[in-house]
Amino acid sequence: MVHYKLSYFDIRGLGEMNRMVLHYAGEKFEDHRVTPDEWPNYKSKTPFGQMPVLEVDGKQLAQSFAIARYLARKYHLAGKDDWESAQLDSIADFQKDFNSEVAQYFRVIAGFAEGDKEQLYKDVFLPASERHFPKLEKLLKESGSGFFGKSGPSWVDFFIAEGVNTLSGFAPDFFKKYPDLLAFKERVHSLPQLKEYIKTRKQTPL
Amino acid sequence: MVQYKLSYFPVRGLGEVSRFIFHYANIPFEDNRIGGDDWQKYKSETPFGQMPVLEADGKVLAQSFAIARYLARKHGLAGKDDWESAQLDSIADLLKDFNTELRPYFGIIMGHSKDNKDEVYKTVFKPTLEKNLPILEKLLKDSGSGFFAKSGVSWVDFHVASYIETLEGLGPDVVANYKEITKHKAKVYALPQLKKYLDSRPKTQF
Repeated sequence: MVHYKLSYFDIRGLGEMNRMVLHYAGEKFEDHRVTPDEWPNYKSKTPFGQMPVLEVDGKQLAQSFAIARYLARKYHLAGKDDWESAQLDSIADFQKDFNSEVAQYFRVIAGFAEGDKEQLYKDVFLPASERHFPKLEKLLKESGSGFFGKSGPSWVDFFIAEGVNTLSGFAPDFFKKYPDLLAFKERVHSLPQLKEYIKTRKQTPL
Repeated sequence: MVQYKLSYFPVRGLGEVSRFIFHYANIPFEDNRIGGDDWQKYKSETPFGQMPVLEADGKVLAQSFAIARYLARKHGLAGKDDWESAQLDSIADLLKDFNTELRPYFGIIMGHSKDNKDEVYKTVFKPTLEKNLPILEKLLKDSGSGFFAKSGVSWVDFHVASYIETLEGLGPDVVANYKEITKHKAKVYALPQLKKYLDSRPKTQF
């Protein structure tokens, strides 16, 4: 039996989609949550000085998407074939691009940087979001399954649901405009394989 | 035989990795280099209003890494197994993070930003290079094959080599001290399967 250890901070962030894949798959794993005090020492032991890091029988894999895709492929959460996997990859990277675009706004509202929240909301978050979220809703409609992949849930649903979860916590009024995305988030959180974990996991703003 | 069409701007950027895959694997494809008005006309037909876009028998796939990974998997350029593929994915995403960090500097070079070039070189460009290039070099040393994967050349070698070409073009001293990574780029560019393309392709800064 494979031994999995997922190391990440004690937040949802970029580690949560990986936790969700393992919970959905019913796979036991060591959910190693690294404290700020422990991080400087652990950092030098990671491949890229970052987390999340997955250890599979002691072998390390870095980068949230690489981890998610690797686990998802094993547990039928990466699309039904290579073409669908590729479509899912493109949606995940589209979301990652958006996250990069609004990173400065996000850093300020999350308390990691100083800045003018209102100005960044107006000049950075709003224009990027108005280009981005309608496209996500369109993709969901086109899929028809209620998830981003026609064939059913995937790691990309977990990634985007958590992104919507986080952002709607910081900008609840904004997300009232995107009821389909909020419904999507609820749908992911209500999946029988995830429900119990979602209910009992630590609630964090990030 | 699949009809492939790759649409991208007439630069290397995020499209070159897939062009390399096609040429390396000797797969015919339409290398659709477009910009200006042609791009504005095509833009609304693309999944995310961005390029590159791959058409495979008319079905459309967006996002540079999704495209490269899909093509690479088909043609033995994505590692020898899922674990090696995942390691390659993590290196590609590390490079994407690296590029995101360098954007403030590239923005100045490309004329999008009026920030002070010397200031941003000192505070952003140089430290980011010094953080990331040693990681890439260590990965190459650990691999032992001269490529990022132990098993041989992959799409990630193509993408990294093209990126190093861009960095080299910024100035003679930019990456000159990084012997492993410049050796890697030379090794990729010496691959016989790429020679005809490399000799004939348009030379571009990015």
